[in-house]
Amino acid sequence: MTQAVRARLIGGLIPSLAIVTALLIGGVIIWASGPRIDGPWFGIWFVVEAYQALIEGAFGSRAATIDTVLRMVPYVFTGLAVMVGFRGGMFNIGAEGQLAVGALASAWVGFTVTSLPLVIHLPLVLLTGCLAGAIWGGIAGLLKARTGAHEVITTIMLNYVGGQLAAYLLNGVLRDRSPLNVIAQTPKVAETARLPDLVPGLHSGVILVIGVAVLVWFVLWKTTTGFELRMVGINPDAASYAGVNVVRRMTWAMGVSGMLAGLAGAVQVAGVNYRSTLGFNVGYGFDSIAIALLGRNTVSGVVLSSILFAALRTGATKLQFRTQISTDIISVIQALVLLMIAADQIIRWIYRIGPAQTEADPVAASTAPVADSESGR
Amino acid sequence: MRTRRNLLFGLAALPILAACGGEAAPAAPAAKAEPTKAPAAPAPAAPTTAPAAAAAPTKAPEPTVAAKVLKVGLVTDVGKVDDKSFNESAWNGAKAGAAAIKGESKYVETRDPNDYKKNIQQFVSEKYDVIVTVGFLLGDATIEAAKANPTIKFIGVDQFQEKPVENLAGLIFEEDKAGFMVGVLSALVSKSGKVGAVLATDVVPPVWRFGEGFRAGVKFAKADADLQIVYHSDVGPEKTFDDPEWGKATALSMADKGVDVIFGAGGKTGNGALYGVAERKDKGVLAIGVDTDQYLTVPEAKAVLLSSGMKIIDQGVSDLIKAVSDGKFKGGNVNGKVGLAPFHDLDSKVSAEIKTKLETIRKDLDAGTLKTNVKPAKG
Amino acid sequence: MTRGRFAFIIGCIGLLIGGAEVLRSPDVSASIVAASMLATMLRFATPLTLGALAGLLCERSGVANIAIEGMMLSAAFGAFLGAAVTKSLLIGVLAGMAVGVAMATLHAWLSVSLRVDQIVSGTVINIMAAGITGFLSTEVVRRQALVGAGLLPALRIPVLADLPVVGPVFQQQPIAWMALLLVPLTHLVIFHTPWGLRLRSVGELPRAAHAAGISVIRTRYTAVMIGGAIAGIGGAYFTLESVPAFEPLMTNGRGFIALAALIFGGWTPAGAWAASLLFGAANALHINAQQFGIPVPAQIVGMFPYLLTIVILAGVIGRVSPPAAVGTPYEAD
Repeated sequence: MTQAVRARLIGGLIPSLAIVTALLIGGVIIWASGPRIDGPWFGIWFVVEAYQALIEGAFGSRAATIDTVLRMVPYVFTGLAVMVGFRGGMFNIGAEGQLAVGALASAWVGFTVTSLPLVIHLPLVLLTGCLAGAIWGGIAGLLKARTGAHEVITTIMLNYVGGQLAAYLLNGVLRDRSPLNVIAQTPKVAETARLPDLVPGLHSGVILVIGVAVLVWFVLWKTTTGFELRMVGINPDAASYAGVNVVRRMTWAMGVSGMLAGLAGAVQVAGVNYRSTLGFNVGYGFDSIAIALLGRNTVSGVVLSSILFAALRTGATKLQFRTQISTDIISVIQALVLLMIAADQIIRWIYRIGPAQTEADPVAASTAPVADSESGR
Repeated sequence: MRTRRNLLFGLAALPILAACGGEAAPAAPAAKAEPTKAPAAPAPAAPTTAPAAAAAPTKAPEPTVAAKVLKVGLVTDVGKVDDKSFNESAWNGAKAGAAAIKGESKYVETRDPNDYKKNIQQFVSEKYDVIVTVGFLLGDATIEAAKANPTIKFIGVDQFQEKPVENLAGLIFEEDKAGFMVGVLSALVSKSGKVGAVLATDVVPPVWRFGEGFRAGVKFAKADADLQIVYHSDVGPEKTFDDPEWGKATALSMADKGVDVIFGAGGKTGNGALYGVAERKDKGVLAIGVDTDQYLTVPEAKAVLLSSGMKIIDQGVSDLIKAVSDGKFKGGNVNGKVGLAPFHDLDSKVSAEIKTKLETIRKDLDAGTLKTNVKPAKG
Repeated sequence: MTRGRFAFIIGCIGLLIGGAEVLRSPDVSASIVAASMLATMLRFATPLTLGALAGLLCERSGVANIAIEGMMLSAAFGAFLGAAVTKSLLIGVLAGMAVGVAMATLHAWLSVSLRVDQIVSGTVINIMAAGITGFLSTEVVRRQALVGAGLLPALRIPVLADLPVVGPVFQQQPIAWMALLLVPLTHLVIFHTPWGLRLRSVGELPRAAHAAGISVIRTRYTAVMIGGAIAGIGGAYFTLESVPAFEPLMTNGRGFIALAALIFGGWTPAGAWAASLLFGAANALHINAQQFGIPVPAQIVGMFPYLLTIVILAGVIGRVSPPAAVGTPYEAD
């Protein structure tokens, strides 16, 4: 077995083992909070029942599967957003805020413009979301490139500013003024601003997700821009030596990252809610980091982890329905997965897998582990 | 299989049941007589009194009563079923209602506002007979589900029904009236002539109606009273109800300025205000709670808790569930009870004169001769 | 530079307190309003100060800490549980500190020993803290119907506490006092002790520190863990000093405001404290303005700490920069 093949195998094995291990630990916690020793099999069935419900809830029926796919869509966009940032050496914690402004902007174009045909209006709505997200993310990128202000801090702060801005606008100029509305939300967007259904209940944003994923892969691994971006991410000094405009690439990385998160917001508006509501973006920021890391910052990895996270969140309802335990267990499982992905030494130690090839460069090991495996080089 | 959980749930339900069944509000709680007066509905043309032509009682009640165990499902708004607030109150009602008709009950907690539809669907697909959804934000999703599933009965807590659906009852409360009563009480009891309200965000209509009702009540009872109303709108909607520290700091800030009756409303933020008042017990500051009789739910504030502006969700929900079992369930708006909680330990602080006055106001409010003039939501 | 900013912040606070003069009404004197605003400011500043100091120690050693929120939240829960079970507030505080240290140790183990990206490690802690405390508060606290053990009593300095305007400063609860005490103490330790020098050198130039015979790993562990203990006290503030109950997510983002305060204060204890006071004062002003019937755009007020932090990070008013080695794991050769 060549080293490359072995590295790739282990690269795929470790996330799977991390998931299994996290589910096992989660199982112990579920067991401890369920009916215990006095049940048959020491109450183990309770855990089996819980996980069975989780799976059924996510994939058990046509409706369940559609729910999972619908939830997967924003996860893929925001996961890709964080991934693009990582690849360019930028840590984008701001997907939550970028998603919010993206949704606001696209909803605004969606309900104020009413006389355009769908073929123009819908793309306009989506692009506006992209643009708003790109600006919101680009601010952080620009500040980093120009003044050195760390993007982690600025994106955290921008999340709060974005949330407050949304609250301000949704209670103010963007608020649905219909007398029936009592909520901080925009009016519904025009029919021409809505993503048509692919099958009943499932909007065509799913196709868009696939398209965008392929596009991101292509740009990152098949174009000069992408190559430069990754170079900046791996070693900005070397990139600078090689004549790459590091400042521009950093801004670009955050801009594109924000753009993808903004698109997630736009697609939620155009495909699911048909309006922007206060607070619908909460939680995506941290989830998307987990997804990018679990997917080892590869496009295919992000898609697969998005499916997993979507399934966990969707299935949680049925899990709670059957067992009546707190769905916070899902957050615990997600944190455990993330923990063991981030510190893959834990998994290597538990399962006696040899040390990683990239041990020498820990930042790369956590943020860009199987570097370039997708490029085929 | 014996579970600790069932046992504990049962125990927990007992005192609460006793509370809503037993004690009557001091100021004549007979709000029910009134035929669904919409709380100043946006479209006053249709006072929604027509409870759908298809007479509900004839709808084959026999098999329901005899053969089948009714299954009651509850979907919370974002938050937990044990939130010591409206989710918990509704869940207690669902449990009590289900127990009274020997049915079973289960809940699903909403984590993400995008999930309302899905969570309701969970109970639909499991063929539940009654589905309770809690909070006005679930209104649209509930209407949609009710229209799609005419055989299932839906109860929407805090959901005003614009166009009544036959199998959906909107359990609504006139928070402005409860707030008005509380305001009158505060103004009359206050020695300093300064009263205050510590509230969660004004973006959420029930909170806003409590606050504006309070304002109207204070002004009604004592036009020159110094009134301080503070909303926690400087944080997002996901945080505004969960900030007891802020509530406490705000209440203390009011007490510093001589405010001696403080109304706290809005989840844990409001509870924080009660804790804050408890700390100023020696200064004679009094607190007024919200939603349930908080003498029972916030024992730390017992010594200063004068009363609570109640919207009795649990009883409203359980009554509606019983109505389903009896075949008396009707769609449209159902007005839940609102009123003042008993004065408990502080009964002596309220003179007979004030009690009489409150009673009169209560009657006038119910009769419609006295209006709070509060809009359904902040415009 | 730092002193200039410190003065600037104190000036801001003076301005806010001066707002009291504007806010006073015929029957509430300006001195009462000022005293009240001061009290409110101090109350809000306490957890922010403690959180910021916790983050400060951590970051000064070269370990980024975005997990202040998670550490404080889990400590708030630990403190509540400890006090509720033993009925002792002191044990509650200690339990909170222990939980804070435990979370900090996890952070140190991940980011120092395993050299996981420090932001990732912080993210893990934040997600885990929210999940575990939420789960346990339902499955343990509510199910066992645990009741809190009350609140820490206020300690007042006899004569001074009765002074007009500044009275509230001299009657605070123990954790608030501790926060006030820890500010100069942390300053002394960081800038005037050999350990502080080692800490700073590890945070600025770990290789040079190593060459000078300082154990980078051990220094970082110590700093992060002491920070965890302070975050633990900050967490205990929520359940033992502010309100006698634990509520899920009750820290409500204050860990991130503490992070903002730490940055705004230029990674110095005095600066972080002053920034905490400023953010506290903004809150106090917001509450007081509403009390006196002055309409305020609440959301804009809510943005204030975050916008200020971005502005100062960008160098528009007085540039700040973090310890040089923050974010970089150290590898021994």
